[in-house]
Amino acid sequence: MEAWVVATGMIVLYLVLTIVLGIVANRRLTGDMEDFLLYGRKAGFVVLYLTVVASFHSSFAFLGSGGFFYTHGVGFWAAGTWTLLVGAITYVIGTRIWALGKAFGYMTPADLLADFYESDAVRVTVAIVSVVFTILYIQVQAQGLGYILNVASGDRISFEAGTLILLIVAAVYLMAGGLRAVYWTDVLQGIWMYVAVWLGAIVLSYELFGGPLELWRAVSEQRPDLLSLPGPKGFFTPGMWIGMTITLSFGIVFQPHMMIRYYTAVDAKTIKLLGATTPIYLMSLYLPAALVGLGGAIVMPGLEGSEADRIFPLLLFTHANPWLTGAILAGAIAAAMSTLDSILHANMTVLTRDVYQRFMRPNETQGHYINVGRAIVVGLLVVGYLLSVGTSDLLVVLVTLSGAGALQLMPAILGVCFPGGRTLTRAGVVAGIAAGLVTLYVTLVVSPHPLGMHGGLWGLLVNTAVALNVSAYTTPPSTETIERVHGEVERFVYGTEE
Amino acid sequence: MDDNAPRRSHFLPRTRDGWTATIAFLALFVLAMPPITHTVLNRSDPWVFGLPFFYVALLAVYSALILVLIWAFRRGV
Repeated sequence: MEAWVVATGMIVLYLVLTIVLGIVANRRLTGDMEDFLLYGRKAGFVVLYLTVVASFHSSFAFLGSGGFFYTHGVGFWAAGTWTLLVGAITYVIGTRIWALGKAFGYMTPADLLADFYESDAVRVTVAIVSVVFTILYIQVQAQGLGYILNVASGDRISFEAGTLILLIVAAVYLMAGGLRAVYWTDVLQGIWMYVAVWLGAIVLSYELFGGPLELWRAVSEQRPDLLSLPGPKGFFTPGMWIGMTITLSFGIVFQPHMMIRYYTAVDAKTIKLLGATTPIYLMSLYLPAALVGLGGAIVMPGLEGSEADRIFPLLLFTHANPWLTGAILAGAIAAAMSTLDSILHANMTVLTRDVYQRFMRPNETQGHYINVGRAIVVGLLVVGYLLSVGTSDLLVVLVTLSGAGALQLMPAILGVCFPGGRTLTRAGVVAGIAAGLVTLYVTLVVSPHPLGMHGGLWGLLVNTAVALNVSAYTTPPSTETIERVHGEVERFVYGTEE
Repeated sequence: MDDNAPRRSHFLPRTRDGWTATIAFLALFVLAMPPITHTVLNRSDPWVFGLPFFYVALLAVYSALILVLIWAFRRGV
């Protein structure tokens, strides 16, 4: 059987499985908004674990990380630092977000911040940041999906058609089963992608070098420049290492699709265990990525830019058998879809809750909001598709900014979750976020990474300084609100939970 | 708590286990950050179990960090 038939067949099988899960999830729906948008706040450890790790690791982990090792060498092992921080952030901050969400019925990041800072301006600002900077991830994931299906089918399914098919599948199971469908498919996707990356890397290392240790030896003999910092192109400077660590941990955790996951945990113990153990999966996924990227640099030298990101599928099609290639490419699809569906869901939730319910139709039935959410998914699907197949200078700029956008919520979130520091004000928060975003534009687009430090970190520093200074001269939230919210945090962390 | 008393900071741990976990995590994390990564760890020799030193050393630090998180969980921090 030809390789493309097997590869495409495996992907189709995988897609059918996700739709079946969506249909089964649909039959469990209760018609309650919290059930549709937040899994009824009943997510247990296994489901929550796999959905968090699958959502965190996107098509970048599957394709881009191999490309990074290929181009910049072992410096990308810095990835371990931000995966560890994700665990610690979940343990320390995620638990507090969960407790406040449960106590006050929050569903979105804007709910949390607008309640504490008593401001619709904060709600709108956070909602805009949440949607604008994550809707671009739809484009990134959808492009990855289209590319993988295009490669798997041997160019028989065009990039545009592949993108559309996979966007529709994700939208269908999301509309059918809400967050429950997303979580269940993420369980499948999280397991599939992990097994696929490890299996592919191990098989390729034996096929091409005789084993992983022989691969490392070959790299040291032929490309020793890949085994030291800052790497062949001088990318991994100290400032870049620190900046990526902060940006890709806090910056991703504070994106709405990750924060919403915190609200859905069944209890505090679940989310603490999540924090303690997620780095095991997140970090260890980069071990095989190193084998793929470094091995690829020896076997297929000369790939530049985005071409290097294709090293994994290129190696598979050249050196692995069709069945394995198909299974692994389905794993790549899983990596992208698990992030895509989570972002679609998060944007649906933010737009339904923070915009439609808050400002347009505040007193409708639960079923009404669920149906509006489904309609919004259709709209997001159309926007996502147009973003994926089109391109513009503005889009390139926004994608560059997207990774660090949510990081600008950090001072405001810390202000809510950590009593005892200086209390920020609504004006300080809005001014800080605005200043942070302008700084991001300058330090990521106009003059990327000044002084060798990641632009996201520059944005955060300016944001924090502006937020603190403006807060010193403007009106803080009312004492009642501060006591209510910080009192709940105090009770949760140092008193009784319930 | 007294309404007029300032709330104690949550940025500092209040228990012995909390301090232990925080200091252990931060101390280990420093080992995985510049300047340590770009000086002390930035070499392939000696190879450990057939793998370059830089890679193994960071893997050891990351594993230790995970153990700190698990220890904190088990201690109820």
